[in-house]
Amino acid sequence: MTEKGMFKFSKIPKLKSPSLVVSWSKDAGKFGAKVIDFLNKKLGSEEFCQIEPTGFFSLGGVKVEDDIAQFPESKFYCCERDELVIFKSDQPRYEWYKFLNSVLDAAEYYGKIKELYTVSGTISSIAHTSPRRILAVFNQPELKKILQGYGLVDMEYEGEPALNSYLLWIAKRRNIPGVSLWAEIPFYLAAQEDPKAWRRMLEFFDRRFTLNIDLEEISEEIKKQNKKITSIRRQKPAINKYIGQLERGFMLNEKEQEKLAKEVYQFLKERS
Amino acid sequence: MGAKIFKRIKTKKTDLIACWPGIGNIGITAVDTLRGQVQAEEFGEIEPWDFFYPQKVSIKKGFLEELKFPRSRFYFKKVGRKGLIFFIGEEQAMEGEDVYAKGKKAYEMANLVLDVAEQFGCQRVYTSGAAVAPVHHTMRPKVWAVSNKKELLDEIERYKNTILMSKIEGVDNQGSITGLNGLLLGVAKKRGLEGICLMGEIPFYLQAFPLPYPKASKSVLEVLSRILGIGLDLSQFDNYVTQVEETIEKWYRQLPSEIKDRLEELKHIRYVKPTRLEPITEMSEEDKKKLIKDIERFLQKGGE
Repeated sequence: MTEKGMFKFSKIPKLKSPSLVVSWSKDAGKFGAKVIDFLNKKLGSEEFCQIEPTGFFSLGGVKVEDDIAQFPESKFYCCERDELVIFKSDQPRYEWYKFLNSVLDAAEYYGKIKELYTVSGTISSIAHTSPRRILAVFNQPELKKILQGYGLVDMEYEGEPALNSYLLWIAKRRNIPGVSLWAEIPFYLAAQEDPKAWRRMLEFFDRRFTLNIDLEEISEEIKKQNKKITSIRRQKPAINKYIGQLERGFMLNEKEQEKLAKEVYQFLKERS
Repeated sequence: MGAKIFKRIKTKKTDLIACWPGIGNIGITAVDTLRGQVQAEEFGEIEPWDFFYPQKVSIKKGFLEELKFPRSRFYFKKVGRKGLIFFIGEEQAMEGEDVYAKGKKAYEMANLVLDVAEQFGCQRVYTSGAAVAPVHHTMRPKVWAVSNKKELLDEIERYKNTILMSKIEGVDNQGSITGLNGLLLGVAKKRGLEGICLMGEIPFYLQAFPLPYPKASKSVLEVLSRILGIGLDLSQFDNYVTQVEETIEKWYRQLPSEIKDRLEELKHIRYVKPTRLEPITEMSEEDKKKLIKDIERFLQKGGE
């Protein structure tokens, strides 16, 4: 399956049976990338491998975002102490099956993957003041049993599959236990950031792998964001009303949702 | 990447009838109807993941239950002395974002299909598709035929309601068959297998219509059943043809009279090269394009 030259190794880490954590850039609230970046920073993970983009991404030029030329990245990091391999990548455009198998191949280069975790955000109609739940999809009942007590909520879904579901399915065929974790993000924070959801996910990993990471930094971010939203609620009664409705468990109509998302986005952007 | 055969079939000589979706789903409707009529049984499948993206996921109570891909299945039935292998692909194997198969993926798919067929003594390959033609929807569609060997042309011409592509006015002995329904014929030729592609005519103004065109599938079915010597009961299929015809007719009645008048001309247009001298009435490519544009404009306005 894996072709020679597909990987570029910069280091050979010492790992026995690592757990693999996967996230994709540009999901709701740039959630996956934020969680992975924080984990990497706190664990002092080192980059050790990249998947070459040829055949997986459109390479007919570069995308420019905020005046910066972008280029697809698919990087592996490792934390030998905690037996973790962390993979952060742009979503491939072509050859998903080959790409996802390559992700597992690179991580299995050192031995059988113990468990696979995918990390994403999912848009929800909750208020930002509500606790964030993590919805979970398992590919084996054994792992579900092991993770009982972590407060994960069973997901129900039928429709177009996300890349995470495809990876989970391939992992199942390769007999790798795995779970897709989806943190709830209030819809009006999806275009910005949701540090409260980061913290919920990081707490899960902290407990699962006994990482002892300091989340104070994120708690500060949450406080700052809450302060900003409190400020907009004070200034704009309509926004306060909409958020109040969500806090009481009521749904907003499409127009109200749009207005809330737009105004909160503008407000947070101006003050970021 | 490969084919999975889950039931051995006992036969030495077979014909393969293969099809993928295309314009008006003309070929696939014909082939699938024939498969149903002879009650062919599934015996194998091409593994989808190297060719297709998953279409649907089912997650229940926190478990990933199923990931659904387009299927590419083989069926078999012995009819008289002949073994018939059917291959039906739910989607064309795509390369990049093209609708029709082309490139490496398509070539791999075509080879896999023929690998299986040859395992079971395949001698001849049939494919089917659509022939976009300057015809009116009330006319009986002809079946354009293309072979991959010169020796087969005489045989093809013997079948009623078929026409060789070279006999079409303006084709100038050149043409193409897009996607896997065409490519398979070429790959079969490379392997020395006989191949025939039967294309049911669809009016050019219906090629982008969001409905199948079973009337042309019926024409293909009639030719296929004659070639293979199979008697078919098409009474149920005729109901389906009538239903679609009614929908098309309803749409047609709503067209502005200036467009309708030009489309009516198609009933008298000659697009097959004459075998004797007769008055010439043709519709140029430019006229056709203009008509399609006018219809599109009409539809964009919401058909008012």
